[in-house]
Amino acid sequence: MTGSPIVSAEGVVKRFGLLEVLKGVSLDVQPGETVCIIGPSGSGKTTFIRCINHLEKIDGGRIEVNGHLIGYREKNGKLVEDSEVNIARQRVEIGMVFQRFNLFPHMTALENVIEAPLRVRKLSKELAVKEGEALLDRVGLADKRDVYPGKLSGGQQQRVAIARALAMKPALMLFDEPTSALDPETIGEVLEVMKELVAVGMTMIVVTHEMGFAREAADRVVMMDEGLVIEEGTPEHFFTRPDHERTQQFLSKIL
Amino acid sequence: MLAAFEWHIFWERIFHPDHVFAQALWRTIYIAVLAQFFGVVFGLVSALMRRSTFLPLRILGGLYVLIVRGTPVIVQIFFIYFGANLFLGFDLFPRTVDLGLFSLSGAVVAGIVALSINEGAYMSEIIRAGIESVDRGQMEAARSLGMPPRLGMRRIVLPQAARVIVPPLGNEFNNMLKTTSLLAFIGVYELFLDADVHYSSTFKPSEYFAAVAFWYLVLTIVWSVIQAWIEGRLAASERGDRLSFLERVREAWAPVPGRLWSRAR
Repeated sequence: MTGSPIVSAEGVVKRFGLLEVLKGVSLDVQPGETVCIIGPSGSGKTTFIRCINHLEKIDGGRIEVNGHLIGYREKNGKLVEDSEVNIARQRVEIGMVFQRFNLFPHMTALENVIEAPLRVRKLSKELAVKEGEALLDRVGLADKRDVYPGKLSGGQQQRVAIARALAMKPALMLFDEPTSALDPETIGEVLEVMKELVAVGMTMIVVTHEMGFAREAADRVVMMDEGLVIEEGTPEHFFTRPDHERTQQFLSKIL
Repeated sequence: MLAAFEWHIFWERIFHPDHVFAQALWRTIYIAVLAQFFGVVFGLVSALMRRSTFLPLRILGGLYVLIVRGTPVIVQIFFIYFGANLFLGFDLFPRTVDLGLFSLSGAVVAGIVALSINEGAYMSEIIRAGIESVDRGQMEAARSLGMPPRLGMRRIVLPQAARVIVPPLGNEFNNMLKTTSLLAFIGVYELFLDADVHYSSTFKPSEYFAAVAFWYLVLTIVWSVIQAWIEGRLAASERGDRLSFLERVREAWAPVPGRLWSRAR
């Protein structure tokens, strides 16, 4: 693929105290691409995508989204952390879906979806509601607009969370193990919604253990282990003849 | 020999309180309400200061709580009422304070200020605990949607913290109703000073203090009923979970159950 990437991460380093969880991770994602990040737990994949929208500070390297440096400003050749207000502005173009949904429990499904469009994008109420209803319809939950998250199943909550992230019209969607907290019978409905996003050309980075989804929907699969990207390639390459021994071991364990 | 308890004095204080007494009662109530209100404001400000990323603010917020919770409230009342005069050479609180529409005695204003500052330190702890009870993922979700920290705090975290804050806040107000009695010592004519004045002129402590104790009991019982009602409504709305903090309070105080005062949908 050619053109400028939407995400460009270079040598990202992240430490929690003495523990170095990312040891120089680099990854470029092209517009419209779906990248699945797999790897054993503790390999740093969740931390890495949390760095992309600066929910985590980074201790080295740099991350650009749409050509904008994320979380930092360049000052005399050095990186200084940006203000939260500026970072908030950058996050508008990066949607995120969490493992534990993190819906706002004191708001209905529709209110969850329209909250940020109303307060951050400053849409009129009518327009926000119209867009919000369309999004809920798109994830198959139009009839749940006035229901509180506590009354929704895990799969339904996660679909509302996806609609909520899409409501900001992001250029990039990050998924942090979106099906790991779900009952097996509701995983499918969430994956369906994600596949539909792939089909309409959304740029997505998905941290997942769903190898079926990775095989079917990903343009590229990235394997992380111990804070490094150890292998990347097409799903076909990955699931038939992975090069790296660690990848072979990992896949043989979970497939 | 012990003086006999003169029941007629006691009953009269309960069934036929005089005009001065009624004013003292009202003064006790409005001082408690105002001091509690400003206490919540101070508590919120200092709780947020203590969570700031800016170290001096954190230190300032922490010192406020440390000092206020570490010293007796009566000392704080005296310090605020007389302190300015001793240290600065002028009265911070003049004899009467003109507030435009009406004026209050300086002692009442000083009392409200002192009790608010004191209450703020306790509310700070309660509000901090409430904020910390909200799952971290909530703020992360708000941030990931491009909400600046302040907006996320106001719209997402505080409404959820409110359900943890309201029960101890009710307790604090119960305390506040009784703590106002300390303002008698700076000459605020409230319930306790009224009893004290009668005692001084009659030397009948048991009758007057028993009567005033009764009135404090009435105040706290009335409040506990209101508090139970608010908490009941809170629990009810939690099942549906549809109201913000302000809406909850408004809802709890609505004369008719239902959506009378809440925002139209």
